[in-house]
Amino acid sequence: MLALADVHTHYGSIRALRGISLTVESREIVTLIGANGAGKTTTLRTILGAVRPSRGTVTFKGQRVDGLATDRIVRLGIAHSPEGRRIFPRMTVMENLEMGAFARVDRDAIAPDLERVLTLFPRLRERVAQKGGTLSGGEQQMLAIGRALMARPSLLLLDEPSMGLSPILVDAIFKIVQEVNRQGTTILLVEQNARMALRVAHRGYVIQTGRIVLQDAAAELLRSDLVRKTYLGEK
Amino acid sequence: MEARRGLGMVLLVALVLTYPFIDRALGFQTVHAVSDGMIYVLLALGLNIVVGYAGLLDLGYAAFFAIGAYAMGLLNSPVLGSPLYGHVWSFWLCIWLAAAVSALLGTLIGAPTLRVRGDYLAIITLGFGEIIPVAIRNLGDVTIEIGRWRPIERLNLTGGENGVNPVGRPYLPGVPFETDPMPWYYLILVIGALSLWSMSRLADSRLGRAWMAIREDETAADCTGVNPITTKLLAFALGASFSGFAGSVYAAKLQAITPGAFEFQVSIMLLCMVVLGGAGTLRGVILGAMLITVFDRVILAEATFFTRWLGRTLGVPLLATADFTLWRWFFFGLGLVLVMLLRPQGLAGRRVKPPPMTEVDEVAEAALPPAPAAETIPLWLRERAKGPTGDGAGPILQVRGLAKRFGGVVALNDVDIVVPRGGVVGLIGPNGAGKTTFFNVVTGLVPADGGGITFDGRSIVGLRPNAIVERGIARTFQSIRLFAHMTVLENVLVGEHCRLRSSVPGAVFRPPAVRAEEARARERARSLLAFVGLGDKGEDLARNLPYGDQRRLEIARALATEPRLLLLDEPTAGMNPRETETLTDLIGILRRELALSVLLIEHDMQVVMSISDRITVLDYGTRIAEGTPAEIQRHPRVIEAYLGTGYEPDATRSSEAR
Repeated sequence: MLALADVHTHYGSIRALRGISLTVESREIVTLIGANGAGKTTTLRTILGAVRPSRGTVTFKGQRVDGLATDRIVRLGIAHSPEGRRIFPRMTVMENLEMGAFARVDRDAIAPDLERVLTLFPRLRERVAQKGGTLSGGEQQMLAIGRALMARPSLLLLDEPSMGLSPILVDAIFKIVQEVNRQGTTILLVEQNARMALRVAHRGYVIQTGRIVLQDAAAELLRSDLVRKTYLGEK
Repeated sequence: MEARRGLGMVLLVALVLTYPFIDRALGFQTVHAVSDGMIYVLLALGLNIVVGYAGLLDLGYAAFFAIGAYAMGLLNSPVLGSPLYGHVWSFWLCIWLAAAVSALLGTLIGAPTLRVRGDYLAIITLGFGEIIPVAIRNLGDVTIEIGRWRPIERLNLTGGENGVNPVGRPYLPGVPFETDPMPWYYLILVIGALSLWSMSRLADSRLGRAWMAIREDETAADCTGVNPITTKLLAFALGASFSGFAGSVYAAKLQAITPGAFEFQVSIMLLCMVVLGGAGTLRGVILGAMLITVFDRVILAEATFFTRWLGRTLGVPLLATADFTLWRWFFFGLGLVLVMLLRPQGLAGRRVKPPPMTEVDEVAEAALPPAPAAETIPLWLRERAKGPTGDGAGPILQVRGLAKRFGGVVALNDVDIVVPRGGVVGLIGPNGAGKTTFFNVVTGLVPADGGGITFDGRSIVGLRPNAIVERGIARTFQSIRLFAHMTVLENVLVGEHCRLRSSVPGAVFRPPAVRAEEARARERARSLLAFVGLGDKGEDLARNLPYGDQRRLEIARALATEPRLLLLDEPTAGMNPRETETLTDLIGILRRELALSVLLIEHDMQVVMSISDRITVLDYGTRIAEGTPAEIQRHPRVIEAYLGTGYEPDATRSSEAR
């Protein structure tokens, strides 16, 4: 469904990605793990067209998308829940969620999806009329994920969805990820919480200073020495 | 490179010093125009303090220019027929009075704008910029009538529409200020050079750093001990005082002033100069101001002259009657648009480059932040920790019955928390339970609706955030709030702000005491950075640091305020296990070695359970549990609302094991 082939990106003269190749098959959960600054977020931004690759290609559903504008890529069926709670602070929770469905044409299917999101996050249901900016940090995180789900994407990009959430919600988020996946959405998941990410994912990639250094089935990665020492914090 | 730059500087200074002679020798006759340009440079530099350093968008700066000019004109004019004036005061005295009057009015005008930000501030200053010329026009004919009694009749306070003419000139024996533009050039050069010198020293001082901190993030600056009210007022007052100098010289040089010379366009032109050259950089502002005035006064005029000559020679009437000076705003606007498109930071602005990626390919090394060590704790911090505290007994923080509502939402409801001296208390709870609101109330960012907060034996309810920092409570933020466009070292130095004492004159003249204080502050900041593992990154811009380093810098900045209680809001959010471990160790060292008390919001249960003595759990603004980590882990309501069943206490490293 999604394929990156030898993608290089630069910020000015600074190299960020140095030849990333990865694939996400339809109905898969693929996770991208790595240290802060390794290039995980840049990879997502490149897929979305917010960063243009200086070399390499990004293909989505058989179509080249590198070089396309972000809004066009989104219309092809990719949704993104950004890191750092980038919601619309002066719009209500409901308006934020409705914005997620902005590019959809199947207007009739939106209401059930809204219901689904509000059921996943009861906290958001309590606050539908509140301005996004007045939510707590963790609630904004839920809103960002909910907004991305509202697009009913074929591919969902999640950037650190568990950040700043309570333990019970971290569990819930990963259950939601699996649930959404079972309903047919392909997911590319970027996470600091490598243990949880590898438990729900089918496959994983380890990214290090802009390169993929390891790729395998998630269960295999959980057993790998490198992953255990560096990303799971085991001695 | 250095040598070439030095040579360039010497050549530039030589050119500036000898320009009137070069001009005379070559017959340019541009000394007048260049002198006027230097007045605008001085004005733009003054505006730069307000806009560039403190980040307060001022659209009415010409008002201060007018005030300076009229202070000179009214005090110094020999003819204005009002009973108030009539004395011809010396120019050399008036120039100081004008600066003082401008600074005073700057403070008065600045005061009501302090609570507004961004667009609102711009609109209010725009209003003041309009009010001043109108007031000057209308105060030229003042009559006060009470019934039949007219205590004041047709009093001319300001010269009205006609302005003030003539204005007295400076007098120095043997210097021909009346006939020769050359003495003006040198007079303005001296005033400009002195102003530039004092501004460059202000920028690189305790006050300059406070201005920039306010510009970067006012809330974070407030919570780091910078008083935003006095800091912003000082920016307005000092910015205005420099325009007082500029205005008074302008009035005396021009010999006549009218209210029309200080309209809105002047404010906009000054703002153009600052933005075009690069707000916040002295070099850029000088460049911008010189470019615009020379373009306006020399190039447009010469181009018009040349085009007309060309038109006459070729017989093209359109060219023969062209007047480019009518198009000046077109060219300014075009230039500004082009600069914003091509160099948004201004012609000489500081370029914000991301750092090079680390070339380390060894997986383990790249992911491993330096481990903190007790030996690297700065000595001065240890000394402070030994110092006496308030009453020395009782808990460091005692919160009783704290309440906070936002509209209909109850954010905090009768919350009690006690932090013992040297203790680490965890604050956990579901998202939206009110944990961050609790921090905001304790640090004075939002007022409490009820309840008491006692720190070190004294109530801190109602204090400003910066005053609470001064008492000894420092905090970090859930979403990192650094001063992004300041260096790492400067960020820590802002933290020391409330422990430093240097004043405005001290910053400019730098007596030995101030030099020593500044040197000590830098030494302390460097030792703190070394302690948190950022020793080699002092000169990087804060925004260019990787995420984990930013979190550690925020802690270093908080420590620089010399706190007795540290409030940490999700310090390990977004960190990988290794980084989290390092940070946990760091907190452990702080409490062991410095007896620092810590109140910690955190969702990583391994961290909370391993370093907290006691834990308080909030849900919907209400305390639902309080106890030791072991008690909290078993508490049914906590498991139900927060921990969930997926969390197993066994997975936690116990504090004994560490």
